[in-house]
Amino acid sequence: MISTQLLISGVIFGLSIGSIYFLLAIGLSLCFGLMRIISLDQLLYYSLGAYFTYSVNLLTGNMWVGVLAGMIVSALASLAVERLVFRRIYARDPTFSMITSFGILIGGIGIIKFFWGVVPRPVEVPTLLQVDILGTEVPVYRLMVIAIAVCVYIGIWLFLHRTIVGKAIRAAIEDVEHVEGLGINVSRLFTLTFVIAGALSGLAGGLHAPLIMVDPTMGLETLAFVFMVVIIGGLGSIKGTLISALLVGQVVSLGSIIYAPMAQMAPFVIMLLVLLIKPTGLYGSPVFKR
Amino acid sequence: MSLLTIKGLTAAYGEAKVLFDIDMSVAAGQIVSCVGRNGAGKTTLLKNIAGFLTPTSGSVVADGRSLLGMMPYDIAKFGIKYIPQDKKVFQDLTVRENLELGSYATKDYDWEQTLSYFPKLKVLMERKAGYLSGGERQMLMIGRAILGSPKLLLIDEPTEGLAPGIVTQLREVFKELSRKTALVIVEQNLPLVCAISDKVYAIRDGRIVAELVDAISVDMCEGYL
Amino acid sequence: MLKIFKWWWGIALAFGLLGIARMFLPLPFMNEVVIFSIYALACNFLIGRVGYISFGQPAYLALGGYATAFYLVHFGTNPYVGILIGVFGGLLASLIIGPLFVRLRSDYFAMVNLALAVIVFYLMQKVLVSITQGDNGLWFLTRIDSTPILDLTRPGHFFIFALIVGLAVWAFYKYLDDSIFGACCLATKLNENKLQFLGYNNFSIRLLAFVIANTTTALAGALYAVYLGFVSPEMASPSRAADPVIVTLLGGVGTLFGPIVGAIAYTGMKDVIAKLIGNWELFIGFLLVFIMLVADRGIWGTLSPALEKLISRKKNSARGERDD
Repeated sequence: MISTQLLISGVIFGLSIGSIYFLLAIGLSLCFGLMRIISLDQLLYYSLGAYFTYSVNLLTGNMWVGVLAGMIVSALASLAVERLVFRRIYARDPTFSMITSFGILIGGIGIIKFFWGVVPRPVEVPTLLQVDILGTEVPVYRLMVIAIAVCVYIGIWLFLHRTIVGKAIRAAIEDVEHVEGLGINVSRLFTLTFVIAGALSGLAGGLHAPLIMVDPTMGLETLAFVFMVVIIGGLGSIKGTLISALLVGQVVSLGSIIYAPMAQMAPFVIMLLVLLIKPTGLYGSPVFKR
Repeated sequence: MSLLTIKGLTAAYGEAKVLFDIDMSVAAGQIVSCVGRNGAGKTTLLKNIAGFLTPTSGSVVADGRSLLGMMPYDIAKFGIKYIPQDKKVFQDLTVRENLELGSYATKDYDWEQTLSYFPKLKVLMERKAGYLSGGERQMLMIGRAILGSPKLLLIDEPTEGLAPGIVTQLREVFKELSRKTALVIVEQNLPLVCAISDKVYAIRDGRIVAELVDAISVDMCEGYL
Repeated sequence: MLKIFKWWWGIALAFGLLGIARMFLPLPFMNEVVIFSIYALACNFLIGRVGYISFGQPAYLALGGYATAFYLVHFGTNPYVGILIGVFGGLLASLIIGPLFVRLRSDYFAMVNLALAVIVFYLMQKVLVSITQGDNGLWFLTRIDSTPILDLTRPGHFFIFALIVGLAVWAFYKYLDDSIFGACCLATKLNENKLQFLGYNNFSIRLLAFVIANTTTALAGALYAVYLGFVSPEMASPSRAADPVIVTLLGGVGTLFGPIVGAIAYTGMKDVIAKLIGNWELFIGFLLVFIMLVADRGIWGTLSPALEKLISRKKNSARGERDD
């Protein structure tokens, strides 16, 4: 039997990991829902976010400033990539964008290696405080990560349901042409969504940095998990992404308590099971528009 | 002076030519109908005007401005709104949200006027558009389009598949609308066409074969199909 | 299509050129090119014929490689048997994975395969560390027997063997292309509904294509294992996931000689660039973006129409009106 303490810290650990996955996967999922692209380069913005958190943290001694800087840089990088690359390929098959964005991701890793080298870098946790939850000491930083992810989820929900731009995005997920027919500049919606996704990926990278080592291939390592989250939840579904991010987080965390090497395998098995029952994921729409 | 002037418009899907040398003009406040069999090129014509397709040659001028090369959303913003045949409302959004999107681009909030055409939509405001009936969807589509007070409405087969009662209602709405805006309607329902149109273009195999202005009757239209 | 491009001529020409190139270029380079073109042939088939873009090819490469390695480390010493075991391993794996994967839409397929590559990577690197020795890899170069006639432990002999295998694989794919099955594959790519109306079963066509392609990939993996005499998780590394896709695109998707041309260009660039700037990722990443945006017909796809024109003009002047 697993002790309660181990279980609680495991659950908190899983929630924080799930939060990071959620921040990353939400961007991928939104981009797919709206623009029908598979944007692997989100993982590059994730690495950029982490590296800027590392560097700015060294300069200023404040990790949160670093996370902010990482988000801004990621947003700018994604803006440039959208303008230069994605704008030309929206009309094409999703797998086309997948190959292209994989190129951007690999090229970006090359750029990161050029500036920061290949040595993994540690980032200090901003606070070493622990709080007591049901007799278990839990690091405050992990709780902060969870809180930020919750805020982002609420923020995105409000954005999509309460603002006119958000409503236009929801409408365009259903049918781009009709939104265009109402006189709404769809390509601006695309840019906005892509930049939001990039900024959130940067945020995820910045928040993840103190929990792991920052190294050039961190994006590729996280890639598989983000993919599994997106696939289990169903491409294009925000609710599905949240649920499956939390699920995968718990599976990784609790799985590692039971048998460490299994932690990485378990989400994959779950993904296969979900696909066996529903080939488009839990909340993915079976029809494929465009 | 005419609101919309089309000269020598030729259009194609890839290699296959669909429209040949179309000349057309629509004056402000007119209801102009296009009739013709399925596949004659009527929908293609509307899509070319609305900017969803680009003509291979010819000119499309509205209000003194050439529409060629403009993006569909710019054309819509300019006041030429296309209502497709598919009756696709944004199903996941409420009726109110659907209408909000219609008024978003042009910042026109004359909801009272719009809803006076379709009183039924008032009661359905908070319902998800996915739950509407076919007739209600068509009302929503038209309501969504006229919220921005367009100069010209391009309506593709508005009465297709609708109950007769709703068709009668739409007829009144179209007449009412024509006081403020011009309409180009593609329609198969000839009695309706003859009752409301100021001008009828008969299209066959991608060419305009007749332009009827006075004494439009069902028999005359049928002769050109 | 011109008579001169009839496949037996093309094939003989291509592999003859490879054989001649062997005299001028270093042997490791040539071996790499031949193995790589087998690897890319499978990928080319998946992309060009079935419309499946798979980023998970390294997974099957590694499965084939490790199956061979396990045999050579624990059970036997004959390299030919080892390669057969590798191929069989790939066949088995793709028969198990295939039914699940080919039901997926092409975008899900691409993502799930990449996830598979990462999982195989973890499997070899961490989970099965007791059997696979993790990052150290399995070494068995000295355990491979010298066989009579073609001694696979000697790079020169290995090259001839790989060339024969490559030739066979290439001819096999050419045969598939021309068969009804090839047409069915193309049809699933273009319009799966219509194919069903014609009475074909999409699922089994895709499954067969999937199994064939991944077994070929496993063969390439097995060849790698025997050639290098060791395997490591690096084979399934996600950072190399795009390699076969890049080679295919570089050569020209769906073309006959694309994979071979791509493999030569890619391996050549890799040697040169790695020496010159040492930042391989930077180069290959942006090369990929460039290919996708500007030159999506690839080297062979761009060259062959020009080449055909040239040859047809010569032929015309030589034969006059007798030309087809």
